[in-house]
Amino acid sequence: MMRLVQVLYKKEMLDASRDKRSVMAGLYYAIGAPIVMCLLFTILLKQLSSPDALEITIENPQAAPNLVRFLEGHDISHSEKSSVKAIRLIIDTDYAQDMSQGRSALVTIVADKSDNKLIKSVRRLEMSLARYNSEVAGLRLISRGIDPSIMRAVNVQTQDQATPDSKGGMFLGIATLSIIIALFYSAMNLAIDTSAGERERNSLALLLSHPISSTQLVLAKVAAIATYSMVGLILVLVVSKFAYGMVPWEQLGFSINLDLMFILFCTLIGLPIALMSASLLVFVSFMAKSFKEAQSYVAFVLFVPIGLSMMTTYDIATEYVQWAPIAAQQYAMIEVIKGNELPLMQVLLSSASTLALFAVFSLLSSRMLKSEKVVFGL
Amino acid sequence: MNLFGNQLVKLLSTSLTSLAIAYSGISYAQQNTALEACYVEGLEDRLMCGSVSQPLSKKPSANNIDIHFAVIPAIKNMHPKEAVLAFAGGPGQSAIEVAAIFARNLKYARESRDIILVDQRGTGKSQLLQCDSGTIEEQFKFNDQALSFVAFTKEETGTCKEQLGIDLSYFTTVAAASDFEAVRLALGYEKLHLYGASYGTRIAQEYLRQYPSSVASATLDGVVPMQQSLVAIGDAIDNALNEVFLDCMAEQACLSQYPSLADDYQKLLEELRKTPITVTIRHPRTFKEIPLVLTESKLRGAVRMALYGHTTRSLIPLVIDSAVKGNYSPLAGLLGNEQTLGSIAMGMHSAITCGEDWPNLTEADRKQFGQSYFGKMMIESLDTVCPIWDVEPVEHDFYKPVKTDIPVLLLSGGLDPATPPSWADLAMVSFSNAKHLVSPSATHGVAAQTCANKVIGQFIDSLTFSDLDTDCLDKDNLKQYFMNINGPVAHQETEQKND
Repeated sequence: MMRLVQVLYKKEMLDASRDKRSVMAGLYYAIGAPIVMCLLFTILLKQLSSPDALEITIENPQAAPNLVRFLEGHDISHSEKSSVKAIRLIIDTDYAQDMSQGRSALVTIVADKSDNKLIKSVRRLEMSLARYNSEVAGLRLISRGIDPSIMRAVNVQTQDQATPDSKGGMFLGIATLSIIIALFYSAMNLAIDTSAGERERNSLALLLSHPISSTQLVLAKVAAIATYSMVGLILVLVVSKFAYGMVPWEQLGFSINLDLMFILFCTLIGLPIALMSASLLVFVSFMAKSFKEAQSYVAFVLFVPIGLSMMTTYDIATEYVQWAPIAAQQYAMIEVIKGNELPLMQVLLSSASTLALFAVFSLLSSRMLKSEKVVFGL
Repeated sequence: MNLFGNQLVKLLSTSLTSLAIAYSGISYAQQNTALEACYVEGLEDRLMCGSVSQPLSKKPSANNIDIHFAVIPAIKNMHPKEAVLAFAGGPGQSAIEVAAIFARNLKYARESRDIILVDQRGTGKSQLLQCDSGTIEEQFKFNDQALSFVAFTKEETGTCKEQLGIDLSYFTTVAAASDFEAVRLALGYEKLHLYGASYGTRIAQEYLRQYPSSVASATLDGVVPMQQSLVAIGDAIDNALNEVFLDCMAEQACLSQYPSLADDYQKLLEELRKTPITVTIRHPRTFKEIPLVLTESKLRGAVRMALYGHTTRSLIPLVIDSAVKGNYSPLAGLLGNEQTLGSIAMGMHSAITCGEDWPNLTEADRKQFGQSYFGKMMIESLDTVCPIWDVEPVEHDFYKPVKTDIPVLLLSGGLDPATPPSWADLAMVSFSNAKHLVSPSATHGVAAQTCANKVIGQFIDSLTFSDLDTDCLDKDNLKQYFMNINGPVAHQETEQKND
């Protein structure tokens, strides 16, 4: 029985590799996606981070020369150039008088806080002003003979358990999402071609006229498709490793580093997903009556795993979804990148259920192939 | 199928064991010491802490001490075999305690490399050599101009020596250098970029001299040359204070507010020299009424410490002017504020100064350095305490300038009251690949006050001087002087505002 499957597997692999262009087309995703992703990330990071030299509009600066100089020390300065950010700092006309009399001197920040490109710069300005506030307040206390440390009634210390590798947040989610999708996309064409396509070329009936069971045929096809998925996965991992290394994450204070261990780990947990994905694609393709119909169904069905993955990416997975196949594996991948403890139970359970799904889809496909209606696409 | 099965099990088990190793912590280059996560005050980031056991001396019977260190992990570790080793100042400061300051000064270097902080032997967690230094009340009340001062100091030192019960000769710069090398070996880094501030530049140079093959570059911020005794500091203090007076005279608002600042200061000092002033003031924290005996050395000391940073420096005209007018509150504020700097391990400090800065003082040195108030005071103080501490003097070679062709970046502040730019020039006489940058408006510690942290990051990345962007060091970021107790704005005569 296994021997027959092996022969069939060889035949499928041979078949698939004949059309080199379409095989490559399937793998383009694996090569292209990380590169496109990194270009996007690089642009996004630039937008999100505040520029080294922040240029804003300061109104009435002559009223507060000390404050203006302080801000310049923090690389925030007034500019009339076109590169100036849409942030205005208005210094009140009574600033000098209020300052000399110990009243709160008014400065107003005018900016649109819903503008994501500005938010970091606005926060930086607010933070710098807060520092100036405590600096002057501290000196005011010293000149009254009081230790400024009394202003800190409670000494709040935060111990952030994150590491630079774990601060990636949503970026990590998107990166792992693109890796998981590679498993589905790399072999999608092949899956449709080897099932719906073979039926349309009438070679499926010919195959089944040999003394082989439909289960053997389905298993061989699934194995061949899964092999291509795995090639796609390894490709996406290797390309990602280098591409993500080029993104200047450090500007936002974190990094995404895909080391060899992560690549091995992904390959390992990717195997059940590849089998499940292959059996799902084959099943859906056989359900359709024609090649074109299969393409539409497959595209539609792929929304389910992508949806599951998205829930992890955007951290909206509920308690139960976290244990679902794909979602759980992706969660584990993120944890591994972060350097946290591996959620072993989740990985084992979701891998088991992924394999169970593979069994169910394969069984259903082989059942379907027992019906002549399906074999001849009637 | 069985064949595949076995293969799979093997693959599975090997990957799982290596995964387990990967989880054990941040993976440094072959580290062979246990590290655990730790935190320090003022820094949210998770650091990795550990220690190495080091012999106290080269004698075979010597006891061991634990040298503690912390690693601030790089943001994106692009050079896992390199790290930045930061040396703290003082002497006597704990590098781990001031991790937040180092993290800021080395912010850009940290983007791609780990930062190592080591508590030098005698400081912080590495066998701290500290004695009690009295409360604010005791310090305020104490009259250091009384005849018994020398006797008092001797007694204090004797008590401290007894309390520590250890030979300070084991805690000199030369002895400490090997501890830093042991930490490097334990963490498995191949090359280090050194960053030293103040006294930290001396130990950095000594490390560079003893272990040149471990060093990729050195950045010295506020440089102490090997040839120079710390006692020579007096001139720098006088010059830095003089700059304040000149500055204030050059500024219209300051001049009209404080027209005769320098003269007022001299007059007040003379008065105090004759008779200390005793007043009742409020305790800076508890607000209780406590006595303050104001002496010349207390006034000079408070003003000196205020010169170290930009913020407190801006209070000096106000403090002097108020004291002359009989209001000692601003001065008490400065004296009380000094407490926050008080994390210097005095035992270790004495080991360095008595072992390295005192024994080589020639008669000519004593005469030259003794001309300034602080030089004279320091010589007198060392003459009093060093015979009690009895620290073995360092070898004479220690005072030779370090010869190296490793790239060295030297940073000085033009207004530095401790390590003026001329000291850096002296230090670099035998550096063949060095650059000295002066930030005219910086005081002590250029990286903390200017964009030098960016320059240091660029320097460590490129190890060349040609493409460093140093223009920003010229930026004037001095604070304006306080014109009254509310801020840097002179009193404004305008219509009354309703409160």
